[in-house]
Amino acid sequence: MSLTLESACRLDERVALRPEPFGALAYHYGNRRLVFLRSEDMVRVVRSLDDAPTVAHALTASDIDRRRWPSFLDALSHLEASEVIHAR
Amino acid sequence: MQPVAHAVDQAAPPDDRVAITEDEVVDEVLVEEISIDGMCGVY
Repeated sequence: MSLTLESACRLDERVALRPEPFGALAYHYGNRRLVFLRSEDMVRVVRSLDDAPTVAHALTASDIDRRRWPSFLDALSHLEASEVIHAR
Repeated sequence: MQPVAHAVDQAAPPDDRVAITEDEVVDEVLVEEISIDGMCGVY
């Protein structure tokens, strides 16, 4: 299933986010997948998902320009496919 | 009658500027998955 701006998401509890100069490294202890989050903005969005009612709220709370939202939605869909985040 | 030079000064410039940035979608790669399958056994 593909995420939408109205989706509510959460970070998988088996995922560790480690800050890096390029953004963060996400490691899933369950499926052992390793994903680079390639910007500080992306890290901020991912960290805000748990408390945001929807993806759109997380993007707004993270002060992401609306012109960048499609890229963030694609990236979040990729993270869902990798089980880093889940719809809730 | 208005002098020609004065009339030209008061004329509005042609608005041929194109609205280019307001709705432009920014395409960027924000995540990259790395395969570590080949690293099994490396500790």
